[in-house]
Amino acid sequence: MHSDNLHEIISVRHLTETAYVLQITRRGLPFKAGQHILLGKAGSIHNREYSIYSGEQDSFFEVLVKEVDEGMVSKQLKKLKTGDKVQIEGPLGFFTIIPELIENGKFLFIATGSGIAPFHCFTQSYPELNYKLFHGVRYANEGYEKNHYAKNSHILCTSGDRLGDFYGRVTDYIRLNPVSHDTHCYLCGNFNMIHEVFDLLEQQGVPAEQVHAEVYF
Amino acid sequence: MKYHLISLGCQMNLSDTERVKTVMHKMGFSETDHEDEASILGIIACSVRQKAIDKVYSRIYKWNKMKNRKSLLTFVSGCILPSDKEQFLKLFDLVFPMSELPDLPIMISQYGIVTPAGLQHLESERETLMPKPEALEKEQKTLLLPFETNKPAVAGLKLNPAAGIDEFWHVEPTYTSGFEAFIPIQNGCDKFCTFCAVPYTRGREVSRPSVEILNELSNLVEKGFKSITLLGQNVNSYGLDKKGEEIDFPELLRKIGQYGQNSGKDFWVYFTSPHPRDMTDEVIEVISLYPVLANQIHLPVQSGDDGVLLRMNRKHSMEKYRHIVGTIRRLLPNATLFTDIIVGFTGETDEQFESTRKIMAEFQYNMAYIAQYSVRPGAASSRWADDIPKEVKKERYHLLTNELTKYSFEYNKTLVGKSMRVLVRGRDRKEGYLSAHTEGKIVTRFASDNDDHIGQFVDVKIMGAAPLSVEGKLVHQEILQTQ
Repeated sequence: MHSDNLHEIISVRHLTETAYVLQITRRGLPFKAGQHILLGKAGSIHNREYSIYSGEQDSFFEVLVKEVDEGMVSKQLKKLKTGDKVQIEGPLGFFTIIPELIENGKFLFIATGSGIAPFHCFTQSYPELNYKLFHGVRYANEGYEKNHYAKNSHILCTSGDRLGDFYGRVTDYIRLNPVSHDTHCYLCGNFNMIHEVFDLLEQQGVPAEQVHAEVYF
Repeated sequence: MKYHLISLGCQMNLSDTERVKTVMHKMGFSETDHEDEASILGIIACSVRQKAIDKVYSRIYKWNKMKNRKSLLTFVSGCILPSDKEQFLKLFDLVFPMSELPDLPIMISQYGIVTPAGLQHLESERETLMPKPEALEKEQKTLLLPFETNKPAVAGLKLNPAAGIDEFWHVEPTYTSGFEAFIPIQNGCDKFCTFCAVPYTRGREVSRPSVEILNELSNLVEKGFKSITLLGQNVNSYGLDKKGEEIDFPELLRKIGQYGQNSGKDFWVYFTSPHPRDMTDEVIEVISLYPVLANQIHLPVQSGDDGVLLRMNRKHSMEKYRHIVGTIRRLLPNATLFTDIIVGFTGETDEQFESTRKIMAEFQYNMAYIAQYSVRPGAASSRWADDIPKEVKKERYHLLTNELTKYSFEYNKTLVGKSMRVLVRGRDRKEGYLSAHTEGKIVTRFASDNDDHIGQFVDVKIMGAAPLSVEGKLVHQEILQTQ
């Protein structure tokens, strides 16, 4: 075990029964919004990738963890308390925004479930971004910290209740609201959503080079 | 005392194995091909396919049975997933990441095994295993083994298996060939392709210091090596992990090219594998400037469809790939192009497969390593349904293979009548023939029973072409005949 990878839990913020945000000491590690870290309980040989939820300017790291039934790491992490240690590798990854586009680019962020994490990071890091965010969840209470996002920019698509902004899947919403060709699209979430949304965007004329994806599993 | 080593998997593992052998030899053990003769049995494991891991399990069950009749020590290293590591800790005497190879003598001695070298030269055993980094520049100094450290005999609980890889690189390899060698320039992977488990087995990308690489290369060239391959999971992201404190891949190639020019020696330098995401025009420009940098590019595409590439998490589009190939064709018109392709990846539709089939015609690869998708334990895609039926995968595999042979045959036919320099690699399967490859790694056979040619460059005139090889005739023989 390498002590230089050890970070401390600052706080645990429970969002639902199975989702929580871990706030962890950053120890000056630089990162680009959209990158992820490999996170595991200190001393464990198991770790997992988590997108960074907090912003580039924040003095800490935050990650959004969704507890998975068969997931070894998310269960271990859930038991951690303030002051406990975790091991971090990274930050890593290429799911980032091209700096030249930040000022004038037009962005569409599409997430399912905890796939919203990198978009929370984008919007926290670059408050001036011109973006729309479509977040697909089963129930409205899974619209994690939705008040963080600009009111007219965030569409919560719920397929299990009618308490969101749109009743149906994100793919249904995109079918009804075609995406303009000049949009830079960022997809983060489960495999099926990414598969389907990519095809939809292609049909709607968005060039493949403007579609970026981070697959969650 | 003898050891027996099994190496599974890729070129990276073969290269690692060469370093494991050095450590074993320094301890005084000699290698045997027969496990019955060995006191130490080791496996360099591969996690790319379940089959390879199954081999490890079947072997260790056999070895543990052998322990009933003789004293044995077993170890496993290489590419191991955390879940397998937990099992291996119960089955093997030693489990360690490759980065801890320099500590193997300590681990073995803690098991109470006195090494042959230890019996003879207890003091000298502490030396010569790992030259210090500075020594690589000065060449003569050696580093004492850290016997005073008190490490557990069972290692391998690192979160990042690559941590400490620098010391591993200081172990000199026992090259298996006298004219072809691999030089690892990087370990690990940060790309997280969804079909691959390497980031979980080898850890993060770590670049080897360029001074060590250049030193190893110049030593090999001085010894007469003719073909040297720079190895890494993503060679063209070399140096990027050092954040400005190390040269990048184009600069590394440039230094190698300049060394080649100044050395006056004849050799070819290859690299594998680059990732299209980090492939720059500069890399290709540098290759075009220096003759020792071989005109052969292995550029894995995996799929010709943007949607599949997205789900594979390849982080590049076909447009980017096209741009790279365009630059290769423009700056290196004689270069051969190799690739890797996976058919039948989860969810791959007929239409998406067609996109891949089309690029076979577009890029006209000289060689493609085509794999039918199979679930790789530990990789992200192992959680998804492997939903393409076996027969469909097989059919797609055959269709692509046919395309490959068609286009490589076309290319090989253009070589007929040309004189080409080839590196002779050994006897051919065909009696009375030697097997060689061109700078572009086109397999070339020619009639000769003179083994002195093996490991040497010779000139041949290409007389005939086949889909994946050509046949030639030694040029100097022809001259002799006409004189």
